Amino acid sequence: MRELSFSKALREAIQLAMRRDPNVFVLGEDVGISGGFGGGFTVTLGLSDEFGHARIMDTPISEIAIVGAAVGAAMMGMRPIAEMQYGDFVFCAMDQVINQAAKMCYMSNGQVSVPLVLRLPVGATTRGAQHAQSTEAYFMHTPGLKVVCPSNPYDAKGLLLSAVWDNNPVIFLEHKLLYGAGGGRKEKTSLDLYTHVPEQEYTLPLGSVAVKRAGTDVTILANMLMVHRALQAAQELASMGIDAGVIDVRCLAPLDIETLADSARKTHRVMIVEEDNQSGGWGAEVAARLTEMCFDDLDAPVLRVAAPDTPVPCAPALEKLYVPDVPRILQAARQLCQSSRENDLD
Amino acid sequence: MISEIIIPKLGATGGDVTLDEWLVPIGAFVNAGAPIATLTTDKATVELEAFRGGYLRAILARPGDTVPIATPIALLADSSDEPLGEYAARAITNLKETTTLLTANTDAVESQISNQKSAIENRKPQPPPQAPIASSSIAPLLQLPFLLALFRSMSLIRRFEDTLYQLFLQGLVPGTLHQYQGQEAVAVGVSAALNKDDVIFSTHRPVGHLLAKGSSARGVAAEIWGKAAGCAGGKGGQMHLCDITIGAPPSNAIVGANIPIATGAALAFQLRGEPRVAVSYFGDGATNIGAFHEGINLAAVKNAPVLFVCENNGYAASTHISLTSRVPDLAVRAEAYGIPGVIVDGMDVLAVYDAAQQAVSRARRGDGPTLLECKTYRYMGHSRGDPGGYRTQHELAEWRARDPIERLRLLLVAQHNVSPDTLTAIEIETQAQVDDAVAFAQAAPEPEPSLLETHIYA
Ligand SMILES: Cc1ncc(C[n+]2csc(CCOP(=O)(O)OP(=O)(O)O)c2C)c(N)n1
Ligand SMILES: [Mg+2]
Repeated sequence: MRELSFSKALREAIQLAMRRDPNVFVLGEDVGISGGFGGGFTVTLGLSDEFGHARIMDTPISEIAIVGAAVGAAMMGMRPIAEMQYGDFVFCAMDQVINQAAKMCYMSNGQVSVPLVLRLPVGATTRGAQHAQSTEAYFMHTPGLKVVCPSNPYDAKGLLLSAVWDNNPVIFLEHKLLYGAGGGRKEKTSLDLYTHVPEQEYTLPLGSVAVKRAGTDVTILANMLMVHRALQAAQELASMGIDAGVIDVRCLAPLDIETLADSARKTHRVMIVEEDNQSGGWGAEVAARLTEMCFDDLDAPVLRVAAPDTPVPCAPALEKLYVPDVPRILQAARQLCQSSRENDLD
Repeated sequence: MISEIIIPKLGATGGDVTLDEWLVPIGAFVNAGAPIATLTTDKATVELEAFRGGYLRAILARPGDTVPIATPIALLADSSDEPLGEYAARAITNLKETTTLLTANTDAVESQISNQKSAIENRKPQPPPQAPIASSSIAPLLQLPFLLALFRSMSLIRRFEDTLYQLFLQGLVPGTLHQYQGQEAVAVGVSAALNKDDVIFSTHRPVGHLLAKGSSARGVAAEIWGKAAGCAGGKGGQMHLCDITIGAPPSNAIVGANIPIATGAALAFQLRGEPRVAVSYFGDGATNIGAFHEGINLAAVKNAPVLFVCENNGYAASTHISLTSRVPDLAVRAEAYGIPGVIVDGMDVLAVYDAAQQAVSRARRGDGPTLLECKTYRYMGHSRGDPGGYRTQHELAEWRARDPIERLRLLLVAQHNVSPDTLTAIEIETQAQVDDAVAFAQAAPEPEPSLLETHIYA
């Protein structure tokens, strides 16, 4: 079985989509330069050799123009895949995302649509506060956008293909420590993550979540890098007699809240692990909805393990404290299970 | 680490080959895979490539020499002055003066200082630069101590950055790196025109800007190592150096973001009637982001006392400026805002100083902003781990031949009767300053966990 890294799986998805449909094109900074990087994290490396520099379009450092041009082209029937070199730079182009891309379909009463994909590398990797943020909550808050945040190469390819063929603006988050790209752009602390990725085209439904591990004692919800930490924690919890299930919330909008609620009803305890800041993060929304839907089934309040409400510090010693790690997840899970067991006795 | 480049077996015959030509000057950085020499066999002429990136530290043969296969022909090093150790006796370190071989000094316990000294002394002044774009006609008016201070400042930056790069290659530097080698004349020339209470707004490539303005090497190094003693307590990191005591708010890693911010600082000075000036440093790449247009236009219509310094090093990451701008001279954009746009040779510290000085006086007089475009070059990759596959060795060598430090050295020796030893002594001092800063940074304690949650609000 063929295994691919996350960045190669994304590259293959783009390649297949571009072969199938001449309306698909890529735009961004340093995406197609010969001898260059293939975008921020090698995802488009080599694609300009096959598709040329017109369809792998290098732009100036002009985030407003990148997103704005993608919106315009998309309304005219193209399917642009735009890249921000780092997810944090999307804030330069926020008007184009929130006021333009997200609202066009609604404002036109459906006369136009904006089928674009905006790829955002996210996650803290000792580069400091302006190259580190996990930005999903901003987009989840905005009606009209779809938000996708895969955790592994297989999902990355299938979800990216779905995102390209979807007729709406899709914000596609990619965690830098998952790319596993070789060469100079490889992140020091990245996961060496390879999974089976079929060679052909396949799609995974936008709006789906993936049950990674069934459990009876507690449901852990996580996305991107945090899925891997949650799974590791679940394994260690098993040896402590706690049976934890893990669900990969790989799409935040639309959100398959039913699957999450089903699990919550089964385990009676829910924990959310997110790299985003805690206040107003995606976990806050999910916790609120689960509380609304299955309050009576829960033995304890939904518990979040999130980044603290600080900007991302650069110092490795501080960044380690910022990003939730396995010991923090373990501690929270034990606390959650213990306290609610005590409640059971009352 | 010194690595040998070996003559490969060429073709089926495997006979000796002749060295035709070196394609890279000694001391230059070569990327992995870049051609460094041409060789001829009885059948063909082929290029010999560097198997890894590094500095062409020395060569072991001269053009015309017959070289047996499987013998070393060149030495790659992690810095341009790495000690040659056992190779010292055979190494040719200056092709022009083929008679000058490094005297063998294989004593393993040779002190670090004398290593540096011999490396520095063996570096000969570069050939005179090509015709500069702006002339340093003010050179005769400048006093020797001032010129020596410029030399010291550029040397400190170069030594700091080179040392960091060596440590980076050994995996000893955390986080990212955006280096300033080659561009020293810009930060040093501009800073020389500023007062202590003027402020600078820097970029993702800030080390030169901060050191030139007078920030301590220890504070900068400790920040890069993420230590509490860093100039920003370790929270900022390499791209967010900050030292308000020398007028440096956090350097900015959002390209172009500091342009409107510098305008705002200048407006504050204007509103309060203070005779201070703000400087915004940015690259060629930043001239295409909206913030550039908005920030400069606002400064222009308000006559704000700000100097916009565009360091045009030809590239935004891997992207050459010709791919992103139809005008090669970015200074012409000033005309669109009704302010002066000045082009200056950014490899000539005196030319930069001269132009910056005029622009700063203009701003202080209340005559508004200037866009100063400094034509320069970065010697290293865009950031850590960038091998620079998008540019040629030839281009790099051409710019290195106009090295700002070597040009000032040449001027000081030729026109001010400064002895080369005096300059060498300065370089040894700046290297010692850097070594001290690095040792300080490495030994400094990690930030306390409680610092994570401090200073979120004022
Ligand atoms: C708004 C924004 N977009 C993209 C980047 C990624 N990035 C960092 S530096 C850089 C190139 C900058 O080129 P230039 O302005 O010429 O400065 P130089 O690196 O040459 O000093 C890019 C694309 C960024 N930091 N900010
Ligand atoms: Mg540049």
